[in-house]
Amino acid sequence: MIGREVCRKGSINFMKKAAILLLIIPISIVILSSCASKNSENTVTIAEQYGLAYAPVQLMKDKNILEENINNIDVKWKKLANTAAIREAMLAGEVDIGFMAIPPFLIGRDRGMEWKIISGLSMSPLGLMTYRKDIKTLADISENDRIALPQPGSIQHILLAMAAERELGIADRFDDQLVTMAHPDGMNALLSRKEITAHFTSPPYIFKESEEEGIHQILSGQEALGGEFSFVVGVATEEFYNNQSEIYRAFVKSLQEAIEFINQNPGEAAGLLTENYALSEEEIEKYITWPGMSYTMDIRGLDQFINFMQEAEYINSKNMELSQLIWEVDLYEKE
Amino acid sequence: MKKSKILQRVFWIILLALAWQLIFWSGRFSPLVFPSLSEIAQALIESLINGELSRQLLFSLSIIGQALFISLLLALFLSLTAHFSENIAGLIDTLVALAHPLPGIALMPLILIWSGAGRQAILVIIVHSVLWPMVLNLRTGFSSIPEIYRLVGQNYGLSRLQILFQIMVPAALPYFLAGLKIGWARAWRALISAEMLFGAVNSVGGLGWYIFQKRVFFDLPGVFAGITVIVIIGILVEDFIFDKIKNKTVQKWGMES
Repeated sequence: MIGREVCRKGSINFMKKAAILLLIIPISIVILSSCASKNSENTVTIAEQYGLAYAPVQLMKDKNILEENINNIDVKWKKLANTAAIREAMLAGEVDIGFMAIPPFLIGRDRGMEWKIISGLSMSPLGLMTYRKDIKTLADISENDRIALPQPGSIQHILLAMAAERELGIADRFDDQLVTMAHPDGMNALLSRKEITAHFTSPPYIFKESEEEGIHQILSGQEALGGEFSFVVGVATEEFYNNQSEIYRAFVKSLQEAIEFINQNPGEAAGLLTENYALSEEEIEKYITWPGMSYTMDIRGLDQFINFMQEAEYINSKNMELSQLIWEVDLYEKE
Repeated sequence: MKKSKILQRVFWIILLALAWQLIFWSGRFSPLVFPSLSEIAQALIESLINGELSRQLLFSLSIIGQALFISLLLALFLSLTAHFSENIAGLIDTLVALAHPLPGIALMPLILIWSGAGRQAILVIIVHSVLWPMVLNLRTGFSSIPEIYRLVGQNYGLSRLQILFQIMVPAALPYFLAGLKIGWARAWRALISAEMLFGAVNSVGGLGWYIFQKRVFFDLPGVFAGITVIVIIGILVEDFIFDKIKNKTVQKWGMES
């Protein structure tokens, strides 16, 4: 009996100690995290994704354009697999400038991310591709068919929802039939003609697929939105815009130079880009000058995306004025 | 489970929740990064009420149940044949050595091409993650049975099958249970990552898909709600199902104190 008493007392003591310890943990986490190092003055971290739509960013990196436009700067580049990863890195303060499509940007803004668009980067053909001859329009896609695209909330998903709303009257008609796949996996899955019925994709994959025997396009991005739109835009965090305005200016200038370069010398640009894409120089040149592929700082289609995403409740906030979405509206009021 | 153990669990869970809430209240982190408990609870209740989460949970559990059952049968078959034939044992040991360290995710591109991105693919990945550690455990279990047990059985004139099911399987049960526990944990890991990659199957996506969807729509409380469900199920299965099986078998038989 006595032994048991002692034992119980011992365990109560232990629990008390442990409880104190546990309450110390959050306090120390809070204190420690405040000493975490902030980015030093002259660095900028830029994140992009895979694909030809990012070609000017790739040139900016390879030709050190930003380094030429501002003195002693340390530019760090990151290539992340998807927009969610870029958004999370920017939220964590690891990335200052990120490239993404408009819908994921709007979702972040809607949930309270403090970021705005710097400028457009590219417009590009996007399309829903299939190998099934019997599928001519969205109405032919049955409930058992599955559609591969990069992820829900991506521009491909929102365009699909836009088209579903227009053609079938139900925006989320296909939301339960999506398979999340990076473009290369999606292309493989489509070409193997199994399980996946259609693939919503972008260059160069859309070009490769359209050159494949028996694969045709059901829907184009422009048809879905009803007009032209920016595929990729550059986005900067508020912290970066407010504290590093000099680098911001240099970045805008460099982006402009890179876009001018690719538009004026597509052949030379293709030569520089071969190392970054597993494609030959001729293929790259053909792709970056493909009809519908264009590199421009204009921002297009923002209104259409906002209106649709509010209506279909992919975003909730009503407060989406241009001044809240673009850092320097006067520069790019070319809607 | 004993009352004192339940009390302990509850005590620690409350304390951990309190620590979480303290960090939130400190205001050191943006609520975008570190949501409060009430936000998480709200997201959890909302998803449960509108049926989204419960449907996906049911889907996930049914796949896991199926995968565990298949793995169990396969593992029993493989380890028994290995036990009775030395040649086959060499083959099976080699297979285990080759496949055990291979993460299911590494096989993903192959599985995609071979069996598509459906329910079957998820099943294959889970079975792969569960099968090999189970075989390892069962092999160890069978080989740790003293020879004399089998000889006693023979003296009683038992047939081979009787020796198998009345002596060997019960004698290896502690290893079997340990294998099952490891299998259960690994099945969850494989399931969540596979579902995140493969998305919805016939309108239902499973818990991994639920978490992934919350992530891409930047709904952090929703992500935590999904994680909370996994944790709760983990604790329930560990504390009630596995404990109960143990109490009714190995503990009752005096094989483990």
